[in-house]
Amino acid sequence: MTQQADLARPAPPEMVIDALSAPFWAAARERRLELQRCQDCGLFIHLPRPVCRRCGSFRLAFEPVSGRGSVYSYTETRRVFHPFFADRVPYLLASIELAEQADLRILSNLVGIAEPDVRFGMAVEVTFEDLSPDLTIPVFVPAGSLA
Amino acid sequence: MRGGRRVAIVGVGYSDAGRRTGLSERHHAAQAARAALADAGLESADIDGLTTWGGNPIDFAHMLGFSPLRWHLDVGISPAFISPAIHAAHAVASGQADTVVAMRVILQQPSRANLWAGGTGMAFDAQFQHPFGDLMPAQWAGLLTNRYLHESDATEEDFANFAVTQRGYAAKNPEALMREPMTVEDYLAAPYISKPLRLLDCDYPCDSGAAVIFTTEERARDLRQKPVFVEATGLSANHDMTFELLPDMVRTSPVHCLQQLWSHTDLTAADLDCAQLYDGFSVITLQWLEALGVCEPGQAGPFVSSGGTSLTGALPTNTDGGACNVGRRHGANFCIEATRQLRGGQSGERQVADAEVALWANAVGPFSGAMLLTGA
Repeated sequence: MTQQADLARPAPPEMVIDALSAPFWAAARERRLELQRCQDCGLFIHLPRPVCRRCGSFRLAFEPVSGRGSVYSYTETRRVFHPFFADRVPYLLASIELAEQADLRILSNLVGIAEPDVRFGMAVEVTFEDLSPDLTIPVFVPAGSLA
Repeated sequence: MRGGRRVAIVGVGYSDAGRRTGLSERHHAAQAARAALADAGLESADIDGLTTWGGNPIDFAHMLGFSPLRWHLDVGISPAFISPAIHAAHAVASGQADTVVAMRVILQQPSRANLWAGGTGMAFDAQFQHPFGDLMPAQWAGLLTNRYLHESDATEEDFANFAVTQRGYAAKNPEALMREPMTVEDYLAAPYISKPLRLLDCDYPCDSGAAVIFTTEERARDLRQKPVFVEATGLSANHDMTFELLPDMVRTSPVHCLQQLWSHTDLTAADLDCAQLYDGFSVITLQWLEALGVCEPGQAGPFVSSGGTSLTGALPTNTDGGACNVGRRHGANFCIEATRQLRGGQSGERQVADAEVALWANAVGPFSGAMLLTGA
């Protein structure tokens, strides 16, 4: 029965993962947050790109980051825009500023907190959620709430 | 515009816009272009340049009998209609072409995936949005609106007053798709799409074609309508298309865009008789009002609530009712409304008396554009 229910569950939205982004998702499956970083000037780059916008270097590699950051902005989505999210609304989207670098942002979900309790600038940390056997995403919880 | 031939808008036209019209892009393009030609008193043979976002300019030109073209440009992801409009104006100014049609043809879109279809890198970037349930522009607009509410003095009631003011203009515009009276209570009763963004903060999706014809001052003097002149333009891009990752969601590209525009003219924001400021989402117009400096930073909400954007206010704004009511014409409505206001007597009950200078503007966040028009 359980297996049947899982089969009936809509798949997550289709994604185009290529060589440039594969390390991000491979790390997420191993419950690590890794971002692209310029090996010449040290700039973290997200979303992944083939070149460093600061120094022009093509020597880029993925490196682990702390997963600590703060909430720059957030929104509570109430509408279902894809069947996968039908039983998830309302859910929180947030632009998280990561601790490693000013203006280094990642778009993710805030979990383990209700919308009225979210504050601008509140400290958060990364955790991971399996969306499917093949897909794990980094999501954020209030700092200190992980065991 | 400095550095080239003086350019005028001489014709404007819409297709039969509406919800799911069943008409193709070509049909909307053809209707809009023919309407603009008739408005100007021009023939097909007079057109030697065409640019569009939506459809293809070469295809449209042959269909409409604009052959041969001396100049054409297929505009992709960009700050909506301002992009073809600015390129058309500069093509005329530089002598690449003499009489150019700029178009925006847009069919009701079911998803961002379709909206971004064909855009370079968009499918790649979507992998950092879609798995998180970030699927539609209304959601980045929720992020921008929330940050704006946090940093500014605006309240939800100010946003309600903005929607009510726009609907008041729409009631005076026979071409608006949404004209029923609206109250602050109606706004506050509308559902959140992505809190704090409500349904009535969003433009109204529809099928539409719009066309605007640019030509030289010399030719414009012989045509049917009073010419409206392009005084200055500004474009800006300062980030990729992921609005969700903008370092600053409140002071975005309109600030830089307007610096470019004002550097090309002796006019200032104090000279504006009306403004047509993109309202794909309410917060965008509020950002433009602040970028224009018509109120202090963070004060656009109270400015709207105190009547600043109304017909009798300091700066009548979005006088056709805006895209929330006219429908998603993607900025073309604002070019057309600004033109009509400056021709004088073509904006009916919403006419700004003695309007001589108007600014219309498109987009927000990573990219934007603006055009300053004068009636003489």
